[in-house]
Amino acid sequence: MPKKYHINPKVMPLNLESVHKFTIERGENCINCGRCTKVCIYEAHKRGKGDPRKMADPNTVVCRNCFRCIQECPRGALEKSIDKDFLNIGGAYWKADMFITLWKQAEDGKVPVSGAGYRGPFTGQGFDSMWTDMSEIVRPTRDGIHGREYISTSVELGRKLNHLTFDENGKLLSKIHTTVDIPIPIIFDVPMENLSANVLLAQVRAAAELETCIVLPANHIPADAKKYSRSIIPLITAKEIDKHQALIKNARIVALEYTEDLLNTFPALKDKIKKINNTLTIVRIPATKSVENIVSRLAQNGAEIIHVVADYRGMEFNGSVNENRRLSKDVIRAVHLKLVEDRIRDEVTIIFSGGIAMAEHVPKAMICGADLVAVDLPLLIAVGARLYEEPEQIIVLPEGLEKIPVRTLLQRVINLMGAWHSQLLEVMGAMGIREARRLRGETGRAIFFEEIDNETFGKIFKQREIKNV
Amino acid sequence: MKPSTVQIKKIPSRFKHQVPKYKVTRSNACINCGTCAKSCPHGVHERQEGHNRMSVPIDYKCIGFECKNNDFYCVAKCPRNALAISLNPMYETLGDHRWTADMITGTWIMAETGYPPERTDLEYNTGNSGGGFDKLRLKFPTGRPKIDKFEISTEIPLNRRNDGRANIVISTPVYGGGMSFGSVSLPTMVSKAHNAAIWNTFTCTGEGGYPELLQPYNDHVITQVATGLFGVREETIQRVKIVEFKYAQGAKPGLGGHLLGEKNTESVARMREAVKGTSLFSPFPFHSVYSIEDHKKHIDWIKEINPDALVSVKVSTPNDVDMVAVGSYYAGAHIIHIDGGYGGTGAAPDIAKKNIAMPIEYAITKVHNFLKDEGARDAVTLIASGGIRTAHDLAKAICLGADGAVIGTAEMVSLECVRCGNCESGRGCARGIASTDSELADLFNEEWATQRLTNMYHAWNVQLVEILQKFGMRSVRELVGRTDLLEHVDYSK
Repeated sequence: MPKKYHINPKVMPLNLESVHKFTIERGENCINCGRCTKVCIYEAHKRGKGDPRKMADPNTVVCRNCFRCIQECPRGALEKSIDKDFLNIGGAYWKADMFITLWKQAEDGKVPVSGAGYRGPFTGQGFDSMWTDMSEIVRPTRDGIHGREYISTSVELGRKLNHLTFDENGKLLSKIHTTVDIPIPIIFDVPMENLSANVLLAQVRAAAELETCIVLPANHIPADAKKYSRSIIPLITAKEIDKHQALIKNARIVALEYTEDLLNTFPALKDKIKKINNTLTIVRIPATKSVENIVSRLAQNGAEIIHVVADYRGMEFNGSVNENRRLSKDVIRAVHLKLVEDRIRDEVTIIFSGGIAMAEHVPKAMICGADLVAVDLPLLIAVGARLYEEPEQIIVLPEGLEKIPVRTLLQRVINLMGAWHSQLLEVMGAMGIREARRLRGETGRAIFFEEIDNETFGKIFKQREIKNV
Repeated sequence: MKPSTVQIKKIPSRFKHQVPKYKVTRSNACINCGTCAKSCPHGVHERQEGHNRMSVPIDYKCIGFECKNNDFYCVAKCPRNALAISLNPMYETLGDHRWTADMITGTWIMAETGYPPERTDLEYNTGNSGGGFDKLRLKFPTGRPKIDKFEISTEIPLNRRNDGRANIVISTPVYGGGMSFGSVSLPTMVSKAHNAAIWNTFTCTGEGGYPELLQPYNDHVITQVATGLFGVREETIQRVKIVEFKYAQGAKPGLGGHLLGEKNTESVARMREAVKGTSLFSPFPFHSVYSIEDHKKHIDWIKEINPDALVSVKVSTPNDVDMVAVGSYYAGAHIIHIDGGYGGTGAAPDIAKKNIAMPIEYAITKVHNFLKDEGARDAVTLIASGGIRTAHDLAKAICLGADGAVIGTAEMVSLECVRCGNCESGRGCARGIASTDSELADLFNEEWATQRLTNMYHAWNVQLVEILQKFGMRSVRELVGRTDLLEHVDYSK
């Protein structure tokens, strides 16, 4: 078993402009009686610093929506509403509430915990249309995050053998391929949106500290990141292999952008890369309409690791706007099942990315059939970024970010990944699964909305309609 | 006990203001004539004695747009057209998809008056989650002979095993969920138990010990044995009529319980025989149970210690919840209590609340059918919880196959919970419901809380009786498994 893996969180506020959920306004009829200061346990209301006879403006950053000031103000002078800036962030996929929770996780590294039950929609699209299973009494159960039992989240990247062969003396004939072990089923894939040097270096160092890897376009690799080259996966095109020999030599893994001719040239390219320093190759391929067929052909041609990239909202690219586009859940399942059908699934590693926005998406993507995921936008959200989906995707980094020390930014990324790692353990513990590798394709340990709805309500209501006819 | 004998009393909010649905605005055109104050019977407009100017309108008292049909409608009455009514942006900050602002407001009215709201502008029976109960509708027939409400029974038996143990019958098919001392305040806990006694039903201690103050209500308390065994002693098991094994909780299936250190105050720690200020984890799972045989051993142990008690088994809702339920029946349980994935909690990881285990609507259907196929359905009581928010949810759950339900959040909302979700942190609930902080836990007394709960149970009972009356049924037991009385918005298209 790999050594016990632990991520050390440390509280790390950013102290830059941020968005909060609520706004409280004090009406003109306030009589400055100070009742609100007494009833608010979060200290949103205070007397004015300059003039203590007057109430200061409410500090709504700390507001937790308890309504006590609203309900106890003798004049009904306080009005609360949802902040307009808050309502504007994100969009249909990246919901505004996600930012609040991602920022919080980046700040304290803790699993988000709250009271009262779930408050969202019954079901939704893509990953939101599945639940993970749990075990009790009739199936083996696990200790979970607070127990003593060790749950391993490590995964291997690389080509595996379908079977081993031996000679008549029992000597192993098969040559075992090199693999790269990482302790969390997550690699980094930061979007290069004019990142300042400190942000980029923080991401590289965070990947290194977490013992995972970061995909970086070869010409974006900062000079000061050289000593982290074991954690960097240079992203190049097939034509650039010779040009980037030095980079490849120091890297454990290199990523190749997919082009159609790769289907034929891949075996030769792989050998060429292997000869430089036994480096593993990822083929990075956009999640297009028939991506599963391309993945299958690449796998048959000896691909070791295939990285399927959907768009930032977890949808395939197929030219059309929104309709008839498969969502990540279905894309991953299709890729996985195609490889299973071709009896080659166990030989190749599948990375999935695009729309991995919350901790729950990691185990869900794996259950659908990915070996691991690549995380992108949340790494920028960890350093305070906001995202807007409409009218088009815009990433806004907070003002003054370039002056924040690398150590602060790096710790925030580590915090976020630490929180995600703990949440992965929670989900796996509940499922009774002790190794992340065994999550892959375990659809039997998930509950899919279409299936369960059909199995229960479908039986009740569809049948009756037929009877009525 | 007849529900009609329960004493209902109007018991207003603890707070000066309610959360307003509407906003009444007065423009500069107002000449302070006072016409509005004279006409509005709800007291929205006021002019205080000795004041020339009108006070700012009291929004929460306004009944909204439906008022326009009244001859006292202030907007129409105002000679200067200075008044306007709009939706209050504040209302959007209350509630969520599952518990909408209307549902919370409706429950507050029930707790205040003992009856469902008379206002027609509140959709308090269904939420806005877009699935499950919120897509199911009760399909009322027409032309059924009207049964006298007083002839309709809402009682259900809890022991169906014929095993010589107590034949417990509860008067309304609902009881209170397990909330430990520590997760909620003592007045909350005691008022829940007192209300259970008034309604001849039950409440549950949760896993946090059995406070002395509950002892007058021993006959209406279920004591919980959960994985941490906090506060479990032989005498607490011997003093009750029902003992509940908690294997898992719907809000955090497979994760065990969690009381954050800040809420583990001195009195809580004493009750749990733990160290003050430390976070208390109830592990998952029971390390003594890895099979149905182990499970039976557990149940036998309780039955041995208390020869008269019924045993309830609380489980959450994995894919194989039906197997778990049948296993529990064979292990000797009287009550199978399934707690759905969207259930309540004092503290749970958000990832678990949203993602782990299935919603209760599916689980009831699966378990009911499986028990029926196994020939065991009539020998156990099936109780559902985890997302039963209203009397309509209760009726729908029974139609799907449950005998009754356990509720938690609805009780908290009756005590004026706003579902802000901060029960777990710091000093706990800012509204004093789920807090053991010495100052906050004193925000209301047991008398107020008991009457609020009694009123809410009454309003639910009134609604349930009305539903049964419309179906032409004399007992809630006739409703069990009647999926033919339901329709699903998606399927009936």
